Amino acid sequence: MSKELIRLRDLCMAYDNEPVLNNINLYINDKEFLTLLGPSGCGKTTTLRIIGGFVTPTSGDVLFDGVRINDVPPYQRQINTVFQKYALFPHLNVFENIAFGLRMQKRPDPSDPTGKRMMKIPEEEIRERVMEMLEVISLKGFENRRPDALSGGQQQRVAIARALVNKPKVLLLDEPLGALDLKLRKDMQIELKRIQQQVGITFIYVTHDQEEALTMSDTIVVMDKGSIQQIGTPEDIYNEPKNAFVADFIGESNIIDGVMVRDKLVQMYGKQFPCLDGGFAENEPVDVVIRPEDIDIVPVEQGQLTGTVTNVTFKGMQYDIIVDFRGFKWLIQTTDHSPVGARIGIKLDPDSIHVMKKSAYSGMFGDYSSFSEEYDELDDASLALDEEESGDEE
Amino acid sequence: MKNKLSRFAIPYVIWMALFVVAPIIMVVVYAFSSADGGFTLDNFSNMGTYAVVFGRSFKLAFIATVICLAIGYPVSYMMSKEGPGFQRIAMVLIMLPMWINFLLRTYSWMSILENNGLLNQLFRSIGLISLYNRVFGTELQFFPMMNTQGAVVLGMVYNYLPFMILPIYSVIIKLDNSLIEAARDLGANSINVFRRVILPLSFPGILSGITMVFVPSVSTFAISKMLGGGTEMILGDLIEQQFLGGAYNPQLGAAISLVMMVIVVVCMVVMNRFGEGEEQAVML
Amino acid sequence: MKKGNFVFNRVFTVLVFLFLYAPILLLIVFSFNKGNSNIVWSGFSLDWYRKLFSDRLIMQSVYTTLLVSLLATAIATFAGTFAAIGFHALRRRSRNVLTTVNNIPMMNADIVTGVAMCLFFVAFFGLWTDFAVWFNGIQDVIELPTRLTLGFGTLLIAHVSFNIPYVILSVSPKLRQMDKNLVDAAMDLGCTWMQAFWKVILPEIKPGIISGALTAFTMSVDDFIISYFTAGSSSSTLAMTIYGMTKKRVTPEINAISTLLFFTVLLLLVIVNVREARLERLGKQQPAVRRSPTVEKLSAALSTPRGKWVRWGGTASLACIFVAAVALLTGATNAQPVVNVCSWGEYIDESLITQFEEETGIIVNYQTAESNEALYSLLKSGAGDYDVVTPSDYMISQLIEEDMLEELDYSNIPNFQLIDDRFKNLPYDPENKYTVPYAWGTVGIIYNTTMIEEPITSWSAMFDTQYAGNVLMFRNSRDAMATALLYLGYSLNTTDEGELREAFQLLADAKKNGVYQSFVMDEIYQKLEGGNAAIGAYYAGDYLTMLENNEDLAFVVPEEGSNWFMDAMCVLKDAPHKAEAEAWINFIASTDASLANMDYIWYASPNKEALEQYPAYYEEEYDEPLDPEIYEIMAAPAEVLDQCEAYLVLPAETRRLYNTLWTELGI
Repeated sequence: MSKELIRLRDLCMAYDNEPVLNNINLYINDKEFLTLLGPSGCGKTTTLRIIGGFVTPTSGDVLFDGVRINDVPPYQRQINTVFQKYALFPHLNVFENIAFGLRMQKRPDPSDPTGKRMMKIPEEEIRERVMEMLEVISLKGFENRRPDALSGGQQQRVAIARALVNKPKVLLLDEPLGALDLKLRKDMQIELKRIQQQVGITFIYVTHDQEEALTMSDTIVVMDKGSIQQIGTPEDIYNEPKNAFVADFIGESNIIDGVMVRDKLVQMYGKQFPCLDGGFAENEPVDVVIRPEDIDIVPVEQGQLTGTVTNVTFKGMQYDIIVDFRGFKWLIQTTDHSPVGARIGIKLDPDSIHVMKKSAYSGMFGDYSSFSEEYDELDDASLALDEEESGDEE
Repeated sequence: MKNKLSRFAIPYVIWMALFVVAPIIMVVVYAFSSADGGFTLDNFSNMGTYAVVFGRSFKLAFIATVICLAIGYPVSYMMSKEGPGFQRIAMVLIMLPMWINFLLRTYSWMSILENNGLLNQLFRSIGLISLYNRVFGTELQFFPMMNTQGAVVLGMVYNYLPFMILPIYSVIIKLDNSLIEAARDLGANSINVFRRVILPLSFPGILSGITMVFVPSVSTFAISKMLGGGTEMILGDLIEQQFLGGAYNPQLGAAISLVMMVIVVVCMVVMNRFGEGEEQAVML
Repeated sequence: MKKGNFVFNRVFTVLVFLFLYAPILLLIVFSFNKGNSNIVWSGFSLDWYRKLFSDRLIMQSVYTTLLVSLLATAIATFAGTFAAIGFHALRRRSRNVLTTVNNIPMMNADIVTGVAMCLFFVAFFGLWTDFAVWFNGIQDVIELPTRLTLGFGTLLIAHVSFNIPYVILSVSPKLRQMDKNLVDAAMDLGCTWMQAFWKVILPEIKPGIISGALTAFTMSVDDFIISYFTAGSSSSTLAMTIYGMTKKRVTPEINAISTLLFFTVLLLLVIVNVREARLERLGKQQPAVRRSPTVEKLSAALSTPRGKWVRWGGTASLACIFVAAVALLTGATNAQPVVNVCSWGEYIDESLITQFEEETGIIVNYQTAESNEALYSLLKSGAGDYDVVTPSDYMISQLIEEDMLEELDYSNIPNFQLIDDRFKNLPYDPENKYTVPYAWGTVGIIYNTTMIEEPITSWSAMFDTQYAGNVLMFRNSRDAMATALLYLGYSLNTTDEGELREAFQLLADAKKNGVYQSFVMDEIYQKLEGGNAAIGAYYAGDYLTMLENNEDLAFVVPEEGSNWFMDAMCVLKDAPHKAEAEAWINFIASTDASLANMDYIWYASPNKEALEQYPAYYEEEYDEPLDPEIYEIMAAPAEVLDQCEAYLVLPAETRRLYNTLWTELGI
C-alpha cells in the first residue's frame, strides 16, 4: 500500500496563456483510491488528462514508477480511463467494446526463443477475459447488446470493464457517476469501491461531489483554482480542513473569525474557548471551524454563547436550525426542536473546535445568511455538470 | 398537440402523390406500353442489346466513385483535423464551384483536354511529347485525352467530388473526440484508431457519399457527350436519346429508365447490407 | 501529428483544390480575353462583359434561373419546413413511409426524375385539354384554356419538388434535437399555440431551415437535367442556354456571367463567414451569453416588441413572395405578343431578331434544336412548344403526314412570291400549303489541309482507318447513314433493309476501328476550327463560317454525289401565336433579311433576288469582291445539284429501323 506509483512534479498547465494548473505536486501510491475533488474549473480534469496522456503539461514532470512519461502517448501507458460520458463505441457491441483494448495488445510470442516476434492475444483468451470482466460488472448475457440499448448504469459498468480488462496499473475515472441518478450513484459508489478492492489497482477518481469522495477514497486531493488546497484521508480532510475553502467544500461548516490567544486557547466573540490546536503565534488571527453537528444546545444561562433561532428545517434525522449570533448566522444540527425566535445557548467542547490559519479564502465562506440558496446548490449536482476544461488541444 | 401538428404534412403528402409518385407511375406505364398504347413487354425483350451500355455506365460510374472516395475521404479527414478557420475556408471552397454551372466547368475541361488544348500545348512546349516519341518510337502529335473513357471518368470525378467530401466530412466532424481518446487509451495507435474507430464510425457518410456520386454518374448525359464525344455512350445518353434526342422512342426510354432504377436500388440495398457486414467484419 | 505528415496533408489538399479550381480559373481568365477563344490568349479586354449585358438570350436565361431558383427555394423552404414539422408529429410507421417517398427525388437519378415529370406533365395536359373542352362545352361562364404547355410553371413545380426533400432533410434533425417540452413550456408561460410556434419552434429549427434553403438554392442553380426535361421551349435556364452553346462555341460572354456569379457568391459567403466567425469569437469570450437558458430567451421574446416584428416581418415577406409568384405566373402569360421559334444553331443573324422585335413589337423566343430527329422528339414529347420551326425537307413530309403542321395563310406572307419558283411546290410540300423555304445547301466533307496531304474526293475518307481518331461523324441518323449509303452507291432514300444494314455495318465497323474521334453536330465548329480533328462531314454553309476562323479548311462535295437539302419554315398545328408566326416568316423571307442572313450564316437563300444580289451586297459590305468559289459552295450550281439527291420521307417501318440502328450504333 505504500509503494509510490505516480508522481507529479511542479506541474503547470495553461491554455492560451490562461493558467489552468499551478505547480501541482502530488504522489500517488500503488493500489490507492485517490480522489481529485473540487468545483468546476479547479483543474482536476486537466490533471487527470495529463496523467492519461491526452494533454502534455506546459511544464513539470509526470513520473510513472520513477520514469518520466510526459511524452509517452496514451496507448503506451499502463493507464486506462473511464470517460465522463463513457465514450463507448457505438458501432461495437458490449463484448467488442470490452475486447477492444485486448485486440490492440501485442506481446512476445512464447514460441519464439528470441522473444522478438510479437503476437496478438489469442481469441480464446480474449473471450475468457471479457467474460470474466462481464462477471465482475454483473452484465453477463449482455455481450451482444449495442451500447445504446443499455441503461446509464450498465453503460457505466461496461466502460469500467473495458478499461479494467487491460489490467492497467492505474484506472482514471472522470466524473463517471455524473450522469446517473442519485440512487444509482449511491449503488455505484459501493460497486466501484468493491471493484477496486477486487482487482487491487490504483484508482484516480475525479469528482465535484464531496460525499462521493468521502465514501470511496483512501486519499482526497482538494483542488481549487488550479492549485491543491489539501491532501489527506477523508477523516483528515473533514476534521482538519486546512483552510476555509476546504472546510466549506467538505461538509457543512460555520467559519468564524477568531484570535489564537495561545496554544489550545482561541478567542471568538470576545470569549475564550479551550481547543486542541496549537502551533500558532500568540494572538494570531485565525479562522475557526465548527461543524454544525458538533454543537450542543443548552439553556441560555448555561451557554457559552447565546443567539436567536431564525430558521428551522426538519431533516428527518435532525433539525437544521439557523441561529443568529450577533449578526453572524450559524448552522446547527440538533435532534431537539427549538422554535423560530427562541433564544438558545450553545456549548462547544474543545474537540469540536478546529482552528485554521488565515488564507485567501478567509471571510468567503461559513456564514449561513444566504441559507436557502446554499442548500439548493448542494443538492443540485447537475449545476456543476458542465465540466470546465474544454481543452482538446493536442 | 401531436395530431394537430401532423396536419401540416397533408399538403406535402398530396404534392408528393402528384409530383413524385404519379410521374414514376407514368414511367412504369410507358415502359410497358407499345407506341400505340397497348400493353407490351417488347421494350424489355430488347434490353439485352443495351447490355454493353449498362456495363459501360456501371463500370465508369464505379471507377469514378472509387476515385472520388479515394480522394474525398482523405480530404475530409484532413480538413477535420485542421483549425476552424481553415475548415471554414475549405468548406466555402468546396461548395463554391457548384455555383458555376457544371456544363461550363465541363466545357472548360474540354479546352484543357483537347488534342490541341492547353495540356497538350503545355506538354508540347516542355518537350514531353517529343520525349515520349523518342522513348517509345511513336509519332504522336498530342496525347489523346479527349473522347476517351478516361475523360468521362475525369468529368464525373470532377463534378461529383464535392458530393463525396461533404457527407463524409460532416460525419467525421461530428465524431465524439472522447471516442478517439478512449481508443488511444485502450492501446490503439493512430492507425488502429483510424481503422477500428474513425473508419467504421464514418461509414454512414461514406455510404451516402457513394450514393451521391454513383447515381448521377451512371445517369449523366451531358458529361459523356461533351468529354466522351458520343463514342462512349452511357445510360443517360441512351435515355435522353429516346426522349429528346435523335431516336424518338419514349417507351423504350422509360423501360431503360426503369431497369436502371431497379439496378441502382438493388446496388444500394446490397451496398447497405455490405456496409453493415463491413461493420461486423471490423468487429471480428 | 508529425511534421512530414502535415506537409503531405497540406500538399494533398492543395492539389485537390487545384484540380477543383483549374477549369474555373481558366473560365475566369478567358472572360477577359480579347478574342473569342478559350485557349488562345489575345489580350486583355472587358468586351465580353459589355456584350453580356446586351445579350438578351443570356440575360433572359440568367433572369429565369434566378427567378425560378429564388421562387422554388422560397416555396420549398416554406412547404418543406411545415412538412417536416408535420412528419415529425406523425407516428413512426407512417413517418417512415413518407420519409422514404420523400427521399425518392434525392436518390433517384436526375434524368429519371426529369423524364418522369415530363411524361407526367404531358399526360396531364392531354387530360386537361379533354376536360377543358368538355367543361367549356357545357357552360359558358368560365372559359378554361384548352392548351397547357411546359413552361415556367412546370419548371417551377419541378424545382420545388426536388428542393423540398433537401429542406426536410436539414430541418428534421433539428426537430429531433428539440426538447419535447419546449412548446409546453412556452404555452405554460402564456404563449398561444401560434406564438409558441413562432417564438419557440421556429427559432429552434432556424439553423436547419437556413441551411435547407441554401442547399435548395444551390441545387436549383446547379440543376440542368431536370430543367432540361421540364422547362419546355418558352423558358430556358442559364444551364440550358449553356448546354445549347456547348454544342457549338461557348461565347466568352458565358465566361463573363459565370465570373460575375462566382464572385458574387464568393463575396456573400465571405461576408456570412466572417460574421459567423466573429460571433463565435465573441461567444467564446462570454460563454454566459450562449448558455442563457431557453426559458429566459423565451420570456425575453415574449416581452420585447421585436418578437412581434419578427413574426409580422416573417409573415409579410412570405406573403410578398407568394403574391409575387402568383403575379409572375399570371403576368408572364399575358405579356407582350410573343412568337416561339425553333431553328438550328448558328442559323440566323441575331440582329434580325432585334430588328423584327423593334419593327413589330413581337418578342421572339429563339431556341435551337440539334437535328431534325431531335426536333421531332422535342415536338412529340411535348417538351418543345414552338410556333415556328425550320425542319428539313424529309422531316417536313413526316410532320405533314402526322398532321403536326398548320396550313399557312399566304395572304399574310406576301414575301412568299419572292421565293425562286424552283423552290416552290417541292416534293415535301407538293401544293405548298405549309411551308416557306428558309435556306438550302449541300452536305460535304470538310477537312484540314495542314493535316491531310492529298485532297479528299470520296466519302471513303469517312470510313478510312488511315484517318483513325481524326474523323468527325454526324450525330443524327439520317445524315450519318447517308454518308455510308452514298459511299456504297445506294440511294439516300432506300428502304431496302439489306442496303441499310450494310450501311450501318460500315459505320459500326469504322466506329469499332476507332475512325471516329466523336459524333458531333455543332460541336464540329470548335473541333475543326481548333485543329482538334482533321476531317468532318457537315453542311456547306457551316463550312464557310468555319473558314472565317480557320483558313486551312477545305470543302468538297464527294464524287459519289451528296445530299442537297431545303430547310423551310412552318407553323405547328394549333400554334398559339399563329399571326405572329406568319409575321415572322414574312419578315425572314424578305430580300433584306435574306441578304443579311445569308451574309451571316453562309447558307443560300431561296429568295431569288437576294441570291442574285448577294455578290454585290458582299462587295458593298466588305469592300472586296466575293470569291466566286465561295459563292459556288454556298449556292451550289446546277451541275453539282444534279449529282445530289434530296431526302424523302421514309416509310414508318424504315424510320423505326433507322432509330433502332442508330441506337445500336451509339452503343
